[in-house]
Amino acid sequence: MTVLRLVLGALGRAALVVWVTATVVFFALRGGGRDPLEAILGGPGSQAGPEAVEAARTEYGLDNPVVVQYLDQLRRVATLDLGTSFSRRVPVADLLRDAFPSTVVLAATSLVLAWALALVVALVAVGARGPVGRAVAGVLRGLEVVATVTPHFWLGAVLIAVVAAGLGWLPATSTPGQPAGLVLPSITLAVPLAGFLGQLMRDGLEEAGTAPFTTSARARGASPARVFTHHTLRHASLPVLALSGWAVGSLLSGAVVVELLFGRPGLGRLLVDATLVGDVPVVIGAVVLVALLYVVVVTVTDLLERVLDPRLRRPRAGVATPDDASAEPVALS
Amino acid sequence: MRRPAPVIALSALALVLSACSGSTGGDGEGSGSSDPSGSAQAGGTLVYATGDAEPTCLDPHVGGNYPQALISTQYLEPLVGRDADGTITPWLATGWTVSEDGLTWDFTLAEGRTFTDGTPVDAAAVKANVEHLQDPDTGSSTGYLAVGKVSEVEVVDATTARFHLSAPDAALLESLSQQWTAIQSPAGIERGQDANCAAPIGTGPFVVEAWTPQQQVDLVRNEDYVRPDGTAEPAALEGITWRFLPDAATRYAALGSGQVNVIDNPQPDSIVASEGTDITHIDAPRPGSSNRIELNTAQAPFDDVAVREAFIRSANPEPGIETLFAGVTAPSYSPLASVEPTAYSDESLFGYDLDEAEALLDGAGWTERDADGYRTRDGERLTVRFPVSTNQSVAAEQSLFEQIQANTRQAGFEVVLEPMDLSAWYTALGENAYEAVSAPYTKVGPDVLRVLYHSDSTVPAPSGYFANHAQVKDPALDALLDAASASQDEAERADLYAQAQAIVLEGFYILPLYDQQNHFLTRGVEGVETLGTVSTPTFVDAALTQS
Repeated sequence: MTVLRLVLGALGRAALVVWVTATVVFFALRGGGRDPLEAILGGPGSQAGPEAVEAARTEYGLDNPVVVQYLDQLRRVATLDLGTSFSRRVPVADLLRDAFPSTVVLAATSLVLAWALALVVALVAVGARGPVGRAVAGVLRGLEVVATVTPHFWLGAVLIAVVAAGLGWLPATSTPGQPAGLVLPSITLAVPLAGFLGQLMRDGLEEAGTAPFTTSARARGASPARVFTHHTLRHASLPVLALSGWAVGSLLSGAVVVELLFGRPGLGRLLVDATLVGDVPVVIGAVVLVALLYVVVVTVTDLLERVLDPRLRRPRAGVATPDDASAEPVALS
Repeated sequence: MRRPAPVIALSALALVLSACSGSTGGDGEGSGSSDPSGSAQAGGTLVYATGDAEPTCLDPHVGGNYPQALISTQYLEPLVGRDADGTITPWLATGWTVSEDGLTWDFTLAEGRTFTDGTPVDAAAVKANVEHLQDPDTGSSTGYLAVGKVSEVEVVDATTARFHLSAPDAALLESLSQQWTAIQSPAGIERGQDANCAAPIGTGPFVVEAWTPQQQVDLVRNEDYVRPDGTAEPAALEGITWRFLPDAATRYAALGSGQVNVIDNPQPDSIVASEGTDITHIDAPRPGSSNRIELNTAQAPFDDVAVREAFIRSANPEPGIETLFAGVTAPSYSPLASVEPTAYSDESLFGYDLDEAEALLDGAGWTERDADGYRTRDGERLTVRFPVSTNQSVAAEQSLFEQIQANTRQAGFEVVLEPMDLSAWYTALGENAYEAVSAPYTKVGPDVLRVLYHSDSTVPAPSGYFANHAQVKDPALDALLDAASASQDEAERADLYAQAQAIVLEGFYILPLYDQQNHFLTRGVEGVETLGTVSTPTFVDAALTQS
């Protein structure tokens, strides 16, 4: 029942997000009487002939009033017909299909890497003992903050300059199908995210380490390893998981920069190229796809949270208090 | 957008590091394009990394921009070429004659030449190409203009194509030497635009094999290649991988680390840093117009020549050009590129003189200053709206505009720089919402002056665009440009164009800045040349060197 409501809610949210993004993009690109025809037909330093301009204007439906074009665009989006690219003259769906896998591979690799980095750093920081350990933990905390605020374009440029150009260890460019080329772009995308997730995870671990439910588990004779994996880590991973939707959003926006920097094909690059020439169907298609992906990820993480967090699974009205939470994992173990 | 200092510092670090690794890798000196060191090897695939936008169509007839000219040079060839002196040379056409009235041109084609699909290069193919350019469905802009005066191509016999013109066109040969009017297989064109955009079929030293969008175009050697002089000799390279790498620092890093052999659009600091390494620099300014700031004479304040002169006298771009472009280019004082033999310069008109600028503005009635220090007249501020296309102006050029903004402020101008993308920029121009603007214009030969300064070019196309951004309407200038266009006499033509350029310069319609920058860096390859037409590189004689 709750799952069904969740899915229905997700669908509603998806429709709303698609409508809002399509509208914003359309008016951002076509508002103020901006005409993409010259950009489509000529580019810098050329002048299209009158017949060619008229032919293109009719072909792309640009002779209709903007409102009609907008409604047209909405109708197409609603029927999942993304139309034809102004500049490339091929179906937008084909362009998205070609660009999507490359971006997904990059984002997924980066996400896994970010989780792993965050976990390692958080574990070291929390587990540190003694003066040296505390010093290391302090440095790691500092690094987390620095990593969080590091811009992608800067980190990418540094990695290209030092690792690719300087040391010659890895290629400066990234081509799908070549694993070596994926390393630097993934690190570029993962590090800022890892810094952020690491802070969250460390707070969660520190909090869970002293929480009543771990004390209770230890008192029942559970091994330290079991207490850690079943109670502490589980508790600490919840906020990280909850923010995965946001993390995916951050990765996709970062992918725009990273794909340009490393010359890697993908959705971000498609979006930039299309925006520059005012290719409305492609921009709307790409943005809608990203928005849908975001909704899907948020919905999946919502469901996963229910699996991991018993508090969300058994909503007993008025009874689900934080005190309950400490008892639930015990019941599971 | 300007790069923050850390990035520049790191680029410098990368250069130092790559220079170190470069010198340990080999002889460390000169595998330059002119170096006959003998380490060249036949075969292999050259990797070219371009920073220009990825073409949306590989057929330069469609649209017609510089990125298309760059890549199509490798697989399509024009009817005629042009050498470094500006002399038109035979290419697919071995000869040509023109009638006395200038309305009929006969082009003779070499016998027995074929496109890579086997279709013969004959008069019917030439006719089909001109018709393709003139067909509105093709959506040609640059090539369409180039053959604008051609009313019909008549097939006299298999090797003779007769061009009938609606009016004399002295620039016809120059127009036909451009990559945008290159000749391709009519059978290829007949496949339809989608197929032809993906892989046009020509006569060039390479053939398009595959296009992976956003990534690369794979070109393979044309084994049956016949050179312009008629000798059959294929290229040494087996192929070219044409990669799209938008970031300039990444391109340079990829060159330094040996991933690519040739890059275009390097940053000025990369060019300077590459000196003394095993990287070779090729400087090939584009033909046609110089880069310049055009002042809109159609409305206040630049409808007044005194105000235009005041702006130009106070702009002082020279120190900025020297520092921002790191000495890789020289200031221009001509409407035309320095590679045009007919270019006319007058440095004396552009000397920096702030006092003179102030006096001119006082005389023009801009006598008051407001609270911000800008001049005003009748309560109106001396404002110059300057839309800047971030697609067309590189970072260094945008910085130069900022310096000019600061310099002209001394005289009391308020220059409002408005960075925008291409479609917004076209719209601003179409709405006359500018007082100053800078746009590149590449075209072979001085006829570009007619495109940019003839009053006909102030009439907007249906899309709203026009090329005469300064909106010059001068009957004397029009007459000179018309006469030059109709003249069959080279000396007379050159003289008419010199007079026309003098009018453009003395009218203070434009502030020339420098040639349209076109640089290439190569490493591990020799024999890279650039064409005398639109300065695109050709790899027909290129060979990879041992590293």
